[in-house]
Amino acid sequence: MQLQVLDPTNEAIPPFGELAPRLNSLAGKTVGLISNGKEGTKGFFAHLDRMLRDDHGVANVITRVKSNYSAPADPHIVAEIAGWDAVVSGLGD
Amino acid sequence: MIGRPMQLASRTYDVADVWAAQELYHANGWTDGLPIVPPTRDAVAACLDWAMMEPQQLVGIEPVRGVAITAEKLAINAIMAGCLPMHFPVVLTAFTAMLRTEFLLHGATASTGGCAVLIILNGPIRLEIGASGTFNTLGNSDRATAVIGRAIRLALINILEVRPGGIDRSTLGHPGKFTFCVAEDEENTTWAPLSVHRGLPPEVSAVTVMAAGAPRQIMNEWTTKPEEILETFAAEMRANMRHYSIWAGNYAIVVPQQLREHLQTAGWSKSDVAAFIFERARIHRREWADAGKGAVVRDRGDTVYGALESPDQLLVVAAGGPAGGFGAIIPPWLGHKSHAVTEAIGVCIDCEPPKA
Repeated sequence: MQLQVLDPTNEAIPPFGELAPRLNSLAGKTVGLISNGKEGTKGFFAHLDRMLRDDHGVANVITRVKSNYSAPADPHIVAEIAGWDAVVSGLGD
Repeated sequence: MIGRPMQLASRTYDVADVWAAQELYHANGWTDGLPIVPPTRDAVAACLDWAMMEPQQLVGIEPVRGVAITAEKLAINAIMAGCLPMHFPVVLTAFTAMLRTEFLLHGATASTGGCAVLIILNGPIRLEIGASGTFNTLGNSDRATAVIGRAIRLALINILEVRPGGIDRSTLGHPGKFTFCVAEDEENTTWAPLSVHRGLPPEVSAVTVMAAGAPRQIMNEWTTKPEEILETFAAEMRANMRHYSIWAGNYAIVVPQQLREHLQTAGWSKSDVAAFIFERARIHRREWADAGKGAVVRDRGDTVYGALESPDQLLVVAAGGPAGGFGAIIPPWLGHKSHAVTEAIGVCIDCEPPKA
């Protein structure tokens, strides 16, 4: 017997947003690192900080740690992003 | 009854038969791996009719990703799970509770920690839908709890894209992620229902949701003393704190009839149980070293951590078969990051009366 069945997914799901224009170079730029604060982030982001400065000439690396690693970044951190040229959001698992 | 043909907005698919429907849903990643009931227009409309909801009525908006959940989409997933229309108000209420900010739905369902949504039913609706809180209560005890718990999981998969490897980043997960719904055995206890302890009036049907790890079963049939029985529950909570997570939050304990009767005979209420567990479920941080986690003890070894921030964080649930000195603790996903939420079904407890 032929059936007509319905789509169970959220067909109206919004796009995740658009990526900002890519930078040609990181030299002299300000890069923000948003850490989820887990144990593994400490070594990872410290190393990334050094790489960005030493190997890519980044002028400023700003590290911010979320207050709750299972929730979105705190509003005051999100507000800071507009002042950065690039941002890295990373997991510590 | 809404009294006119229901206008459903979902895309439709024509399939040759029920077997072809299975393949369509499996091929698109729309199932939990088990067969589904094909969600036809009539079946979905019957669910919405029962709950007196329009298809496009908002159940809520997921607070992190801003995804709107409509009654129609929830009803489609409920039908797929095997729900009858009479089960749908429970599914609706459970999902509404999960969308409360304090539940932290996105974090709980995305986390590597791999929790499931535990649903606890209270009030007259349990009897209306045939939800049983006795034999095999944490397993497959009855149709109602099986399909309600499954509906929640399918809705997460399909509406919020909580698929393994997608939004769901669980390392392990646990079997409760197929379905994890328990009805409290209110008929065989002198204790007040969980929903009453959580602030709702007696006789109101209610759903409590909790971001929950897998149950850990305990056994102590060699005493009738409340302190000794509850010490076994507390010990399992301490074990969870050492081996999984030390952080305080909502724990549930499931107390079946045999152990429950010892506690009740001695005059212990749920509040007495919670007060005892609150005091006893504590460990020193240094105990982490006994479980191979010495690296994170640091200089705080003497600090004492409680499993509960307050006694009322413990959800004491009367459920389980009549015989056996067993019980279970159900640990939180991750401490107090997600809070259990209790919601009344089909009534508004604190609503303003309509203005004349």
